[in-house]
Amino acid sequence: MALNRKIAYIELTTGDIETKPIPVKVRNMFLGGRGLDMYLMYNHIKPGVDPLGSDNVAFVSAGVLGGTLASASARTHIGGKSPLTGFVGSANMGGFFAPELRWAGFDHLVIKGKAENPVYLWIQNNEIEIRDAKHIWGKTVHETQEIIREELGDRDIKILTIGPAGENLVRFANVMTGIKDAAGRSGMGALLGSKNLKAIAVRGTMDIKLERPEEALQYNKKVIEQITSAKVSQTQGKLGTPFIWGATNTQGLVRVNNFQLNQLEDADEVEAEAIDKVAVGMAGCFGCQVHCRSKYVIPEGDYAGVYDEGPEYTSQGAWAAEPGCRSLNNILVCNHLVNIYGLDTLETGSLISWVMELYEKGILTDEDTGGLDLRFGNEEAVIEMIHRIAKREGLGDILAEGPLRAAEKIGKDSIKYLVHVKGMSNLHSDERPTPGLALGIATASRGSDHLRSRPAIDLYHLPKQVLRNIYSQPVPYDGPVTSDYRDYEGKAWQVFWQETCYEAVDCLGICKFHTVFLGASLPSFEEWSKLLYYNTGLELSPLDIWTIAERAYNMERLFNIREGLTREDDWLVDRYFDEPTSVGIPGVRGKTIDRDKLKNMIDEYYEHHGWDEQGVPRLETLQRLGIENEPSHIL
Amino acid sequence: MAKVLILDYEKCTGCRLCELVCSVKHEGVSNPARSRVKIVKWESEGRYVPMSCQQCESAPCQAVCPVKALSRDETLNRVLVDYDACIGCRMCIAICPFGAMSFDVLAKRIIKCDLCDGVPLCADFCEVGAIQYVDAGQQSTIKQVTAADKLSEIMQKVAQAISAV
Amino acid sequence: MNEETTAESVAKGRTYGAFRCLNCFERVSVPTGAKTHKCPHCSFEWRLSWLSPDFPRIRGPVWEANRQLAEENLSKKQKGVN
Repeated sequence: MALNRKIAYIELTTGDIETKPIPVKVRNMFLGGRGLDMYLMYNHIKPGVDPLGSDNVAFVSAGVLGGTLASASARTHIGGKSPLTGFVGSANMGGFFAPELRWAGFDHLVIKGKAENPVYLWIQNNEIEIRDAKHIWGKTVHETQEIIREELGDRDIKILTIGPAGENLVRFANVMTGIKDAAGRSGMGALLGSKNLKAIAVRGTMDIKLERPEEALQYNKKVIEQITSAKVSQTQGKLGTPFIWGATNTQGLVRVNNFQLNQLEDADEVEAEAIDKVAVGMAGCFGCQVHCRSKYVIPEGDYAGVYDEGPEYTSQGAWAAEPGCRSLNNILVCNHLVNIYGLDTLETGSLISWVMELYEKGILTDEDTGGLDLRFGNEEAVIEMIHRIAKREGLGDILAEGPLRAAEKIGKDSIKYLVHVKGMSNLHSDERPTPGLALGIATASRGSDHLRSRPAIDLYHLPKQVLRNIYSQPVPYDGPVTSDYRDYEGKAWQVFWQETCYEAVDCLGICKFHTVFLGASLPSFEEWSKLLYYNTGLELSPLDIWTIAERAYNMERLFNIREGLTREDDWLVDRYFDEPTSVGIPGVRGKTIDRDKLKNMIDEYYEHHGWDEQGVPRLETLQRLGIENEPSHIL
Repeated sequence: MAKVLILDYEKCTGCRLCELVCSVKHEGVSNPARSRVKIVKWESEGRYVPMSCQQCESAPCQAVCPVKALSRDETLNRVLVDYDACIGCRMCIAICPFGAMSFDVLAKRIIKCDLCDGVPLCADFCEVGAIQYVDAGQQSTIKQVTAADKLSEIMQKVAQAISAV
Repeated sequence: MNEETTAESVAKGRTYGAFRCLNCFERVSVPTGAKTHKCPHCSFEWRLSWLSPDFPRIRGPVWEANRQLAEENLSKKQKGVN
């Protein structure tokens, strides 16, 4: 059956490997993927460990629907204590790795200790081997995968790997698979690098037996129609995530020159349609009809002729809006560089634009930058900074430590210009006009983050009744809803709802683009209940799935609190409150976030969660969710 | 008229849903290793090519089979396997020019596309139309139209360029 | 019994041949293939692209026109306050 995939404990220091089945009881509590990883994290990572020390533990997993007839069930989750924030580290990527891991017999890998020399894991049909990786240490993300496939003699092997940035312990190095699929945030690449673990290669040819194959086929067909009929899916399938730029930058919801402007004016070359002109086609992740990944060949310059994939919306921000650059080529080249080095595009671009502001303000001098002219718009300097960060050279070495450590090292007033939450940089979105989105990044468990709880459909000005329909399922909600993204009312519930929705998809292993993230008519709890039943036989109601997601999110909260998180960490930097937006449509100009109103929203958000005013889960909440005795060490 | 499966690598996004639905339909399991259709990838170039049985009119597999386990089914225009006769020698795999005959190591038997008895799920589920099930006579028409479309686009561009001069 | 899912009910609100103005959020019908269009409700002007003949989307603002409108709009507002 689809639930018989195992968990493997891999001890890199000693080379010991142990495998165990995952009890159905645990499935009913956490399903799999991010949810079960959060249980495992709370149980296996001792409080206060150094994230880059051998005591930290890395978790790799597939969702419980991975590789089944649930659309886009391709997501791989990677967890551990974050080298960037010291709180929950958690990142998620598409591609083909997770289904392959399941065909090879595993759902969860728990990786402990530290290998003496660089190694990689080779997993094939229930067997796990630790192999020497000296010859691939130092290789790029793309090279590594080619070399391993050649070495093992199977072109269908799927690989997750770190790049040179992860080896160099850049605290926001990512883990990647394929050409561009990246578990980008919170420095999971540095975590693997600290364990001397370069890559994990998998190949599986074992059946995943579906509970009701005929019904699963029929129902999947229906869900596919639901997904492909949505306008957002059609748009994304043609233009990829850069389509979002057409709504956000057009209005003035994008941070430019680090955080000094909220719209990149007169930059038509970085729009989705311009990127589409150089795209040579679209690619999809496993079992997905949205196919939102652009394939491109860099048309000119030093990297002319190089193939890569993307760029995503995040890279439009990181390589155009934030550093104030306006050429398409810069986006394509920078996107390629972060892909081969294995860097989080978002964190890297954000930090570079931060030091550009510091340079323009005189906080950093030519001496500090090693002669680099870090004025906004200088594309050559941006590209050079990517190399320096990945290789930890000069100022790059300082930035490689992440925002807070870098600010401490640079000193002066540098921290005042930093745009982060919990020590993780923000996306290029400017949330000053959008309190709901601001609340999301302030409270997200892994730091400033648009993928943890963002009520993105808030930007669509949907009718109240539509919002009411969406947000009162599967848990009744009769509080306020408003169609205006500038309002504060009702947004706390939306953030809570989205947070639970995203946790649920991450437990299932389904892509967020297949749920209520960018499209209001996409599947959610009702559909998942059926998908779970037909594919795995688990009989869980929409409300049961909601509760599982809530439970998992509370495990994240417990983890963070155990690592010292307080209410003060659920907060924005002063710039959000003190510097009004200046450009864009009239409705978004002159906007700041109101401190008192944000405070009230946070109170309300805690209340929805059943947390006390300090943001600590109340005992009755933990009891309701059955996690009052964690860590329970079942797995 | 009998229908054929046409495979268009230019449209394929490499998602492999065809492999998944094929293995579910035929074996009740998710396992691309047991799929009759296969996406061959050159990942570093972004090239994805769907490969499946072409149901050849003069099928080499049929010719090479020592026990006549392969036969032509004219109603659906396909080559069928008689599993009672098949001895599992895999000569058909050796000779197939497309690699479309494969060996299911779990069931220990050869497998090939049977067009799902007239409703091929790979085509049914392929939203981008990289796999289509069409009347045999249409295959070249579709190719002609696509080629003509490209050609006329080029001609128009040339004409515009000339008029601009 | 109502068997409609949330998603199905939401999908009913879909419209074609129109876009939602990104200034005033009214729905605006637009002739097929138009490259730019001025919102009849608020006068903001948008550059459009077409995903299909009945599916326009806003690509970006007509920069100069909208900058001017925004400035006018804001100065009116300030005057109103004074």
